[in-house]
Amino acid sequence: MSRFQPSRLVSAVGALFLVAACGGTTTSGGGLGSGDLLVGVIAPFTGADAGLGPAYYAACLAAAPSINSNGGVGGRQVKCQQFDTRGEPADAVPAANQMIAANSNLMAVVGCTSDEAATVAPIIDRAHIPMFCMTGQSEFNKTALKYFHRLVPADVYDAFAMVGSALYGPGHSPYKNAALVFGDDIGSQAFVDPATKSFTGLGGKIAINQPIKLGASSYRTEVAAMLKTNPDVILTEALGSAGTYLKEVKTQNGGKMIPFIGSSATIDPVWFQQVRDAIGIADLLKYYAGVDLGYTFSGPAYAEFLTNLNAAASTFADAPKYKQRGSTLHLYDGIIMTALAMVATNSADRTVYNPKIIEIANGTSGTTVVNTYKDGVAALKAGKSIRFVGAGGQNNFDQYNNSQSGYILVGYDKDGNEVTAGQLTPDQTSKLIAAGR
Amino acid sequence: MDLYVAAFGFGLVSMSVIAIAAVGFTMQFGITNMINLAYGEVMISSAYVAYYLNKAGISIWFGMVAGALFGAVFSFLLNRIVYAPFLRRGTSHIGMVIVSLAVSLMIANLLLPIVGYYSVSYQDTTGGLIRAGGIVLTTNQIAIIGVAVLLMLLIHGLLRYTRLGKAMRATAANPTLARNCGIPTQRVVDAVWLITGALCGLAGVVAAMNSDSFAIANGAGFLITALAAAVLGGAGQPYGAMIGAVIIGMVTELSAAAWAPEYKEVVAFGILVAVMVLRPQGLLAKRGALAAAG
Repeated sequence: MSRFQPSRLVSAVGALFLVAACGGTTTSGGGLGSGDLLVGVIAPFTGADAGLGPAYYAACLAAAPSINSNGGVGGRQVKCQQFDTRGEPADAVPAANQMIAANSNLMAVVGCTSDEAATVAPIIDRAHIPMFCMTGQSEFNKTALKYFHRLVPADVYDAFAMVGSALYGPGHSPYKNAALVFGDDIGSQAFVDPATKSFTGLGGKIAINQPIKLGASSYRTEVAAMLKTNPDVILTEALGSAGTYLKEVKTQNGGKMIPFIGSSATIDPVWFQQVRDAIGIADLLKYYAGVDLGYTFSGPAYAEFLTNLNAAASTFADAPKYKQRGSTLHLYDGIIMTALAMVATNSADRTVYNPKIIEIANGTSGTTVVNTYKDGVAALKAGKSIRFVGAGGQNNFDQYNNSQSGYILVGYDKDGNEVTAGQLTPDQTSKLIAAGR
Repeated sequence: MDLYVAAFGFGLVSMSVIAIAAVGFTMQFGITNMINLAYGEVMISSAYVAYYLNKAGISIWFGMVAGALFGAVFSFLLNRIVYAPFLRRGTSHIGMVIVSLAVSLMIANLLLPIVGYYSVSYQDTTGGLIRAGGIVLTTNQIAIIGVAVLLMLLIHGLLRYTRLGKAMRATAANPTLARNCGIPTQRVVDAVWLITGALCGLAGVVAAMNSDSFAIANGAGFLITALAAAVLGGAGQPYGAMIGAVIIGMVTELSAAAWAPEYKEVVAFGILVAVMVLRPQGLLAKRGALAAAG
């Protein structure tokens, strides 16, 4: 039997310190430091909203090579890691704490949907880590969290755009009797109040407001109750359950669909595939209308994003599916902007480079507009100030770190690509917002 | 009123689906004394077997048979390879529950990279719509009810009138005594895993058909519903599980018609809690086919 030797303990402790010194990174003081940098993707990867996390992970997988193949962040390579919240606030808190405690090299966090943003954003903010959250909750409209960034408008604007599609959308007379079918999760329910106010304020009637339990095995009775109210349109965001619900609508309605309008979250390859399989491609193309932010899906930033996203298929086979997912584009931009902010400040100290992110996004007069990380680094090294206009287009952050942009009315083609169907006029937009306030 | 009649019809479908799953689960527990928390994952695995066959152009009804066969073999192997060795080492009941929970998580996580996280649907499983006196059902939903009734009758026949059924009941009542009386209890247990596994697999396919679209995450939901019906009826009692399925299936649909649909499962499980408070042993404890003597 071998005896315990104190010298071994000393060696082991020494080795531990050595490993810690090599693996970790300093986040204080000047310089970009060494070792890998990590982008934490904190989002639902399982549970009812499991379709959300992969879209954000794909964004990181596309952004990392843009940075890494152009010298990294001062030579440091960017890696991506998933942190599953299951879409539940109770599961999100330990996931966020574990992410922060185990990774001192976090350069940014992306994801944090409406399911968990309210619980994880303050935790991430306390740790002084820049985050890009895909939540539409109005509580973040005037947030005091300094490290919080939102690259999409609040859900109320999404709801107004859906109502706009119902009242002013192309190819149909104004719908007047709407069924609101939203999931019972926090994120989906955020649409109900603004949609109701806006729709009724402009002369429409809510036939039924039906919160549905996401992930239920069937919605037969719910659909029967909804159909009894004879709506001429369904406004919906019920991620994960849309296929089940809509197929039941078609079945109970004698094989005929009712027009349905989805939120911007329904511009998603997983949602498209679920609903297509459930009701058939012909009905999906004919009866679906959606809303989305006005993306061009073109230009040098988008071209690089698309190349990297396709290349990411070797790591994550579904990555190329997210080529037109707004959140994927925006989070890609968020990660690139963070890396540029680090280069611009020559600092890995998050308290130093965090304020620079807004500057790089909004630009100032006389700044050089750049569309890629490579161009951004080159401009910074040439002593220029820059504005990054990425795959998701221009950003305009307000003092609460919320970036605003306008909506377009969209549909799908048979391959699941987004097709622009129309645009709301400024007058229509004003009316919708005024009625919904 | 029409809505309640329609909900009653939907309740018939729900209770049929739940009954198949719950009877399999409760028989497994009643005879092997094993609370198999991986039951829901075996269900969803079987549903995916049927999905891939259906996607290849094979009728979902053949897919259902394939799902049942897969469930039978998978459950049998699970017991032989994982559960039985732990039991031989004298692992406690709670230990076995944890083992089955671990198995459940392993199956779910092994399946995830294969089937993906998104929902899928069987093709052509709706059938024609039939309206009768306010009840609106598709031909396939009526077929599901028929399948469930047939299976319940077969289970009744098996337990009451066959040598294997009697051996199962004897093994459930007292395995040591049964073995001493010459009953090959190991073979009986194997047969139970095969039969209940087949029910589990078939229930998975039927539940997936019933859901119109399903995903890997549905496995946990399938388990909870089956477990609730089994516990409500009296753990280990097939007839109790049938009654539990009727109550949970009906209450779920009728409460969705009467109240806020997002709380329909809350109502059903509220009733389960109430029954457990008033009658902790369940509705049919010590009366069912697998009850211990006395």
